[in-house]
Amino acid sequence: MTLPDRSSLSRREYARALVAAGGVAALSACLGVDGNDGERDVPPGTSDPDALPERQHAWNEALETDADGNVRLPEHHVLVPLSLRDDPDEVASETTEDALRTLERAYEWSNDGLVFTVGYAPAYFDRFDESMPPSVDLPDPEALTDRESPEFDEFDAVIHLASDRPDVVLEAEEGLFGERETLNGVDVEATLADVFERIDDRRRTGFVGPGLPAERTDVSGVPESIPEEAPFFMGFRSGFRESQATEDRVTIDEGPFAGGTTQHVSSMDLQLEVWFEQDNHYQRVSKMFSPEHAEDDLVGEHGERLGATSGLTDERIEATSADARERGVVGHAQKAARAREDGDPLLLRRDFNTVDGDRPGLHFLSLQRGIDEFVRVREAMTGADLDVPFANNGIRHYIFVNRRGNFLIPPRPLRSLPSPDPDPT
Amino acid sequence: MQNPDTIDRRAFVRLGAATGTLALAGCFGTEDENGTDADPDDDSGDEAGDGTGDDVTAAPELIEVEDPPEAVYVPTHREAMRMLEPIHEGDFALAPMLSYPHPFWVIAGGGDDDEVERVDPEDGRGVHMMFTLWDAETGIVLPVDEGAQLRVLRDGEPVGSPRSPWAMISQEMGFHFGDNVPLPEDGTYTVEVTVPSISTRKTGDLEGRLEQSETMTFEFVYDDEFRHEVVEGVEYLDEELWGQRGALEPMEHGHDGHDDHGGDDDHGDHDGHDDHDGHDDHDDHDDHDDHDDHDDHDDHDGHDDHDDHDDHDDHDDHDDHDDHDGHDDHGGHHVPYSALPRIEAYPGTRLVDPNADEVAVETSDLPRSGDAAVFATLLESGSRLADGDEGYLLVSPRTPYNRVPLADMSIVATVERDGEVVAEPALEQTLDDEYDLHYGASVEGVQPGDSVTIAFESPAQVARHMGYETAFLEMPPVELVVEEP
Ligand code: HEM
Repeated sequence: MTLPDRSSLSRREYARALVAAGGVAALSACLGVDGNDGERDVPPGTSDPDALPERQHAWNEALETDADGNVRLPEHHVLVPLSLRDDPDEVASETTEDALRTLERAYEWSNDGLVFTVGYAPAYFDRFDESMPPSVDLPDPEALTDRESPEFDEFDAVIHLASDRPDVVLEAEEGLFGERETLNGVDVEATLADVFERIDDRRRTGFVGPGLPAERTDVSGVPESIPEEAPFFMGFRSGFRESQATEDRVTIDEGPFAGGTTQHVSSMDLQLEVWFEQDNHYQRVSKMFSPEHAEDDLVGEHGERLGATSGLTDERIEATSADARERGVVGHAQKAARAREDGDPLLLRRDFNTVDGDRPGLHFLSLQRGIDEFVRVREAMTGADLDVPFANNGIRHYIFVNRRGNFLIPPRPLRSLPSPDPDPT
Repeated sequence: MQNPDTIDRRAFVRLGAATGTLALAGCFGTEDENGTDADPDDDSGDEAGDGTGDDVTAAPELIEVEDPPEAVYVPTHREAMRMLEPIHEGDFALAPMLSYPHPFWVIAGGGDDDEVERVDPEDGRGVHMMFTLWDAETGIVLPVDEGAQLRVLRDGEPVGSPRSPWAMISQEMGFHFGDNVPLPEDGTYTVEVTVPSISTRKTGDLEGRLEQSETMTFEFVYDDEFRHEVVEGVEYLDEELWGQRGALEPMEHGHDGHDDHGGDDDHGDHDGHDDHDGHDDHDDHDDHDDHDDHDDHDDHDGHDDHDDHDDHDDHDDHDDHDDHDGHDDHGGHHVPYSALPRIEAYPGTRLVDPNADEVAVETSDLPRSGDAAVFATLLESGSRLADGDEGYLLVSPRTPYNRVPLADMSIVATVERDGEVVAEPALEQTLDDEYDLHYGASVEGVQPGDSVTIAFESPAQVARHMGYETAFLEMPPVELVVEEP
């Protein structure tokens, strides 16, 4: 494992690069940056499992909000892909649960501590004779447009770790695999290494938050012109409260997995040089939000004019197909919002930027009640029904999907190697 | 105000005269403020000077027309480019072409200032990477943006992020896809092009074709030789022509149009051609003064110096460039140019300008909007393009001189009789093997004498090379009348 060169990077950049590198050496380097274990001041977790919500994906209550009341996702993210060593059994399930509880004891469920989910792929459930209950919609991943030929996540499970502290995501990952004896002062007694192998070349990392993308201009393909304050590579705020599904809306409401949700993860390259150096701001706003957002200057440089909404009135959403014809361009947000049901968005997006592979990209991660809902929203975003050229069809011209994976995030009591049809607990 | 026709004619004539005898390097050598431009004698490959190789002359110093008209205009120069071997896969064929990075304009919207943006190339190494895409069977150039993708690789490693090239129009190349692509260093590059399935309405022989996306690969070498070729190959026109209304003639596809490339492998089989055959045609034009654009030269009655053009089938103009020099050996290198059929190739009852003295004979005589020539005809009921027994309104907007299709527009027609609106169809962009790109709708009961207003809800959403960037933006409606017998 080669570690990033410290001398050429700011402290924040260096920490980010260490998260991307991963591993024990990166962790010790990271602890070196952020103060050593003893002096660190990471809020501790809880040993009472009932103190935590039953939904693994119940993050919103625990996370901070920005000045406009939008949930502020933790800054650093790792997706740890896992492959089972053997078919699951009770011992493996207990080991898994013990390892996960160690994380909960070690870190507060918060931005400053750690939030995480464990999800299982269709490939995992295929190991069983039983089939999934109809209340869960979890198909194998597939290509969703004919502009992509993605690879698919076919491993068993994925853990999503997120924290504002780079050392915490790294340490948690290492601790889960028995590479640390203690985590934030808590003894590590069980290790996932007995149950799973990590698939290193599918490991994904990323970051989100104001200013973080603009620190990545050392990466080829990341232009200097990214707005200083932008939280996302494409230069705008995202994840406004009114454009996000609530956790209730994405929660499976019946059957044995009630309280769980589904997760879609897609990874894509971003063409930022064309986006920032060829299109102008007006065009970017037209393509990201709507042409009316551009005309009425509703967004500001990076979305600072928007508060808790992306400014999508019903009229602007309905105008999508007319905008396609009459203005020759439609916005991504406007177009995707056509999939709202009774005015409510279907997806809870927790996506983050990445420079995995040393080029700019996005790990798009969203939660929804069933994968069919994701597919519907994605169709709205594809906009095959719209009379608009590709280059002006939202942001499709700039994104290149490489991978897709679908996962079930069971409710917490079932998170450790569930069978497809567990007995109600 | 000069009569535009006069300017066109003069521009054209001069153009013909000028292209053969251009002073090249001197043109940019002297205009350059810092005087460090490529010297044509300097072919030793040491433009970097300091030996770092970081300071190459990747593009010529560009001279631009100041204050160009809001119309198609003659730019200051012809671009030079290297044509690579065409490639085929599935139903598609494409011809890659490389030039130096240069400015172009992208559009997203109605054509107001904010909606159009000039793209200037980055400093440093790079190419303007282009390809013409066509249906391998019919030879129809596919002029619609459905999302092609380019991936550049070097030694198997990606160079930069993938990109979707822009749909573009240029006077020389017609409709094509392209973008400026920065390159980190000299060397051999591989490009993977993924062309999308075509979901635009397809009719005639195109129906059922082009349904499957395909990936094709080509390679090129980026080095001093390439830079010299494209930088020095630029041909400047006589200064008087700059900014005049008119257009460069389409490039001799299959030739590279430059006489200094004879040794290039890519053009090996064209060595024998005098590159100026095409220009001889221009010279012919000096003799007639009754038409003003080189498209016309193919079908003019009574011009005996065009014998070899007169026998063209109406609709296969995209083949003209293949055989109008009498060369029929372009074989594997034949690249179609996206010229639409000439207007007499379209059947039906013409929609004409009620105020014109005569019915247009040539594309350049057609009514214009934003300098786009607007051709419209009403195909009789039962036409293969129409639903059932209905008639079919076919509208074919095009560039006024080279007949390049204007794609990705939104057009609505309003049919009126005795002051009452009788139909108001939104036209659908359609690709046909015979009539090529057009906008059409089935209509019922439209009659001679009906007035038809063609309104452009949004102008062609295609990027433009120099000479087209000021046209086809503001496009007022065109009022026509269904011709009476
Ligand atoms: C680089 C990739 C992407 C970027 C930069 C991006 C950015 C944005 C932005 C700025 C908004 C509006 C603000 C807000 O979130 O409240 C938005 C909304 C949205 N995006 Fe994306 N997005 C991306 C990819 C995707 C993908 C792949 C999907 C999948 C379907 C998607 C689905 C949505 C949805 C559902 C909305 C909310 C629509 C509503 O308000 O109902 N986005 N996105």
